[in-house]
Amino acid sequence: MISADSMRRFTPLAIAAILAILAGCGPARVVVQGTFPPPLIEPLPLTMGVWFGDDFAGHEFFDEAKGKKESSWIVSTGAAQVQMWDTLLRGMFRKLVLLQAKPGTGQPDPGLDAILIPHVEELQYAIPAHTHVKVYEIWMRYRFELVTPDGKPIAQWTMPSYGKTPTALLQTDQEAVNLAAVMALRDAGANFATHFSRVPAVRDWLQEKGVLPGAAAP
Amino acid sequence: MRARSIRNLLLCVGTALLSACVTSTVDQMVFNEPTDGIGDSSVVILGRRHSSDYETEPDFVSCVGEHIAAADKSIRVISELEFLNALYPWFEPRTAPLHPADIERLLQQKPVAQKMAALKVEYMIWIDGSTESSGGSGSLACSLGGCFGFGTWTNDSNYEATIWDFTDQAEVGHVNTSASGSPTCLP
Repeated sequence: MISADSMRRFTPLAIAAILAILAGCGPARVVVQGTFPPPLIEPLPLTMGVWFGDDFAGHEFFDEAKGKKESSWIVSTGAAQVQMWDTLLRGMFRKLVLLQAKPGTGQPDPGLDAILIPHVEELQYAIPAHTHVKVYEIWMRYRFELVTPDGKPIAQWTMPSYGKTPTALLQTDQEAVNLAAVMALRDAGANFATHFSRVPAVRDWLQEKGVLPGAAAP
Repeated sequence: MRARSIRNLLLCVGTALLSACVTSTVDQMVFNEPTDGIGDSSVVILGRRHSSDYETEPDFVSCVGEHIAAADKSIRVISELEFLNALYPWFEPRTAPLHPADIERLLQQKPVAQKMAALKVEYMIWIDGSTESSGGSGSLACSLGGCFGFGTWTNDSNYEATIWDFTDQAEVGHVNTSASGSPTCLP
């Protein structure tokens, strides 16, 4: 016979076990977490605004399983995206202003030189079970809008990023996908920092502002 | 004094690449006879990560650094992650210099030149290669809670280390090794 005391002790254990079983049946979830260093570059003498839209700050990728042997995946990159881009842009420009409202919807800030709006257009991943190659990979494609403080377009361009990490003993798929995503974010930052002033429309604008002399910078 | 230091560095790299408890061979080891010492400068060891189908393991790069530091206490080794973070974004897979001549272009960036001077980097060792596992037997299952089971397999490793002299912006040494061994895992 089971006593009331045994039942009280048993119930939380049973609930935990059921939750664990249910969690095992659901999609594999990765909330990307990492640390991102500031860039070692000479900041451009500009006051840049940045707008992280809801689609960007809450970016999440969902991939549904295609067969019984595969599991569905949810990869949440939004928080890590904001963390990386905030760190990067603070190092790239003399001053960075995080906007609280979408550009063009409120009173334009006269102190800003321009506003950058990043978007994640696409994210793909591959794990060894898909490719039979012993690396975990993440691809991302970004689209950037550079607009004036009152929302008029200056430039628009796309940029790819890629991160991979090798398989390792005692490492779960989730840990490896997280690391690959962190590498993809670092790659995005590196690509952006080294190519920003080479984007033709951005280069023209920087030259108009007198920030670039004539030839392209880094 | 310097010749001894550089030879020690190269031998340390060779030893580190070999000392993974496996059967291994040095396929090639060449180096320039140096003319000056390491002094209080430092060495950084970095993994090449350009290939699409493999990646030089960060753990292996770290292991080589530990072996070098242990084998010669006079050599100061900067960890890979510390260096990559300090020099971000200039040594990421997309932006890392591929040839010693690229160093000059890199040093045109004033903050990079200042950081390199502060770190006193004299030698840069690039490690390229990977370890492939094959012929596994046993059963080892891993999940979020850890791993369970017993497994044995064969590891085949192939690594190449290239040493750059940062001041002279030239390649001063090259080591090629291959190794094979059978680790066992019982978590």
